Amino acid sequence: MDILVGSLFAGLLIGMVLALVALGLTIIFGVMDIVNFAHGEFLMIGMYTGLLTAQGLGIDPLLTLPVAAIVGFLLGIICYFGFIKFLLRGPMVAQLLGTFGLMLFLRNLALLIFGSEDRALHHGLLVGKSFDLGMGVIVSATKLACATLSVVAFVAVWLLINRTKIGKALTATALNAQGARYMGIPTEKMNALAWGIGGGSVTIAGALIVNFWSVNPFIGLLFTMIAFAIVALGGFGSVPGAFFAGLVVGMITEIPGFWDFFTYTFGADWMVDIPMTSFKYMWVYVAFFVIMVTRPRGLFGWKQ
Amino acid sequence: MRSIFRFSMLVFGLLAMAGLLAPTGALGVKEVKIGVIYPLTGGAAAAGRELRAGVELATKIANGVMADLPMTMAQNSGIKNLGGAKIKLIFKDHEGNPTLGADLAKKLILDDKVDGILGCYFSSVTKTVSAVCEQYNVPMINASSTSPALTKRGLKWFWRTTPHDKWFTKDLFELLKGLTEGKVQGVKAVPKKEIKNLASACEKTEWGSHVSGLIKEFAKEYGFKLRKSFLYAAKSADLSSEVRSLKASRADVMLFASYTSDAILMVKTLKAQKAHPKVIWGQDAGFEKPEFRSTLGDSISGILTRTVFLPKVVEIKKLAGQVNALYKKKTGNDLGGASARAFTGLQTWVAVLEKAGSTKPADIQAAANAIYIPGKELVVPWKGIKFSTSGDELGQNILGSGLIGQYQKGKDGKISLEIVYPFDVSSADMIFPFAGF
Repeated sequence: MDILVGSLFAGLLIGMVLALVALGLTIIFGVMDIVNFAHGEFLMIGMYTGLLTAQGLGIDPLLTLPVAAIVGFLLGIICYFGFIKFLLRGPMVAQLLGTFGLMLFLRNLALLIFGSEDRALHHGLLVGKSFDLGMGVIVSATKLACATLSVVAFVAVWLLINRTKIGKALTATALNAQGARYMGIPTEKMNALAWGIGGGSVTIAGALIVNFWSVNPFIGLLFTMIAFAIVALGGFGSVPGAFFAGLVVGMITEIPGFWDFFTYTFGADWMVDIPMTSFKYMWVYVAFFVIMVTRPRGLFGWKQ
Repeated sequence: MRSIFRFSMLVFGLLAMAGLLAPTGALGVKEVKIGVIYPLTGGAAAAGRELRAGVELATKIANGVMADLPMTMAQNSGIKNLGGAKIKLIFKDHEGNPTLGADLAKKLILDDKVDGILGCYFSSVTKTVSAVCEQYNVPMINASSTSPALTKRGLKWFWRTTPHDKWFTKDLFELLKGLTEGKVQGVKAVPKKEIKNLASACEKTEWGSHVSGLIKEFAKEYGFKLRKSFLYAAKSADLSSEVRSLKASRADVMLFASYTSDAILMVKTLKAQKAHPKVIWGQDAGFEKPEFRSTLGDSISGILTRTVFLPKVVEIKKLAGQVNALYKKKTGNDLGGASARAFTGLQTWVAVLEKAGSTKPADIQAAANAIYIPGKELVVPWKGIKFSTSGDELGQNILGSGLIGQYQKGKDGKISLEIVYPFDVSSADMIFPFAGF
């Protein structure tokens, strides 16, 4: 039973973290219809920012979150004005290839600066700590903190979009950019803001994740792929959708845990030999594929 | 024009004669180029640094004279039978990538014109590099890749000095069997049912997947029950679901084959998840790196790792102690399994070149097949080096052997590895069961 509850918890927590990763992607897509392939690289930069700030200043990694947020926000805005703005004039394929190029650029820049070695945090307030919730269920402190912050970030972004003037302007830009321009909304600034929020939220996620995940310049791709799956599942552009889909994907990555539960509950020897853990991400893409085929706009998507 | 040609021929002739007449003289000195391919960056960069330091130290000893070291290569400056030729190392970084390794090998052979190759630590890379060497008839000595399959391919230009995983894995099961029979120093016989359930997690390249297969094989042979067995990517940034799966299996004995960063991550995650098996055993590699110890600190007390070299060997073997002192002076660390074997690999190269007395591939091949280095000349605790030239394991050293060490906290409060297997050379009582993190 502890296996089942443990897996459920782990799935929920990692799901919330992954949702935070996907949040930025869905905002950028929602506002601008542009798919940011470099999203994972933003996350990687957030991870390095958290790691290096903590190590360089000798402060706790949790205190580096504001630094990461600022770096991400600026990075998003710089990317927008320096690069994306020009891409928007081109066709869809140019936009795809453009952000793909941005991904390669950022990755290789990181490789040049940081080298290809894995780096990890070994010290910190929450690093390596865990709680025993009883029944043999162990929850890692960093993941819990990360998940909590993820919820906070989601609520904040949801409030921003639904309860503020800026949010309305963002939504208006998302729905009909030309119309919004006629109404006097500075769509250019809104686009940049979307990139800023997108970048900031994902670098915060990175600075949190580096508390329990090691970083190297190639880490981005895994997250980009998962974030895509989440955004597709939740519906492109939908913020609540991203959160919900994050939880679903978190649960999907825990399929091996559920498998173990059934294996040992029923004592099925043949199940032991199937290496489910080796395929944990495969199911995410299976889900992605199924959604793409059956419901292309995702569970909560409102864009066609 | 002709006179210039004649003159230069004369000069060349004289130079050549001078070289022949004074074999150790300065005039005869040339270089023997050895290409060394190791993972110098990436997840195994720490291991790469150790390997590199081991090879460099051996080269320094071979190229100079250190009369107080009781090994042949320390007595001569350079390769005596090649007119005192010095060893020149050309390092390449394969980053853990078999394709890159093969490209680098081609580059070394075609562009740098190396006389031989040493490497590559990762069995997966050794596999592709040795295939390139075979294609170009260039001799390759491997000192630290332990996938059994490597010497089962009938290669004629490949020799391996280290014992391989089949022997090491068997050692582990001998230790477990010894536990049930009360043979382990300081531990009363343990009823078999207490350690019957095993679980293994191995990284999924050539090396780890072979170890995983061997564990399955031996578990059956020795009558243990393998409750869980899976492969994972060494580059994984998170292993929590893997560790939960191991915990779910309720295994008494957890077995790992991991490289450096994943070994650290695995143990950190085991600790965070409060896993509590009775035995934790690592198949060398990551479990033996200085980083493993320095990063994880006291929490590794009680963890076992198979190895080919432990600082304790220094107490048994004088030569190992001397070389260890030199290595410590150079790097600040003690010799470990990786560095000691890399050292031995280069030493074997020197001995082979000495025996061949030439850098012609065919001569080197013949010399390698006939070489015998007695155990007393080695830093590793083996009976010696002699390569198998027939049967299904071509080029495998048949005089090697393994050790199993356990991390224990000494009186000085420092964590070090004590020998617990073979039983006759145990250096301390074994900690059993594992006390938890």
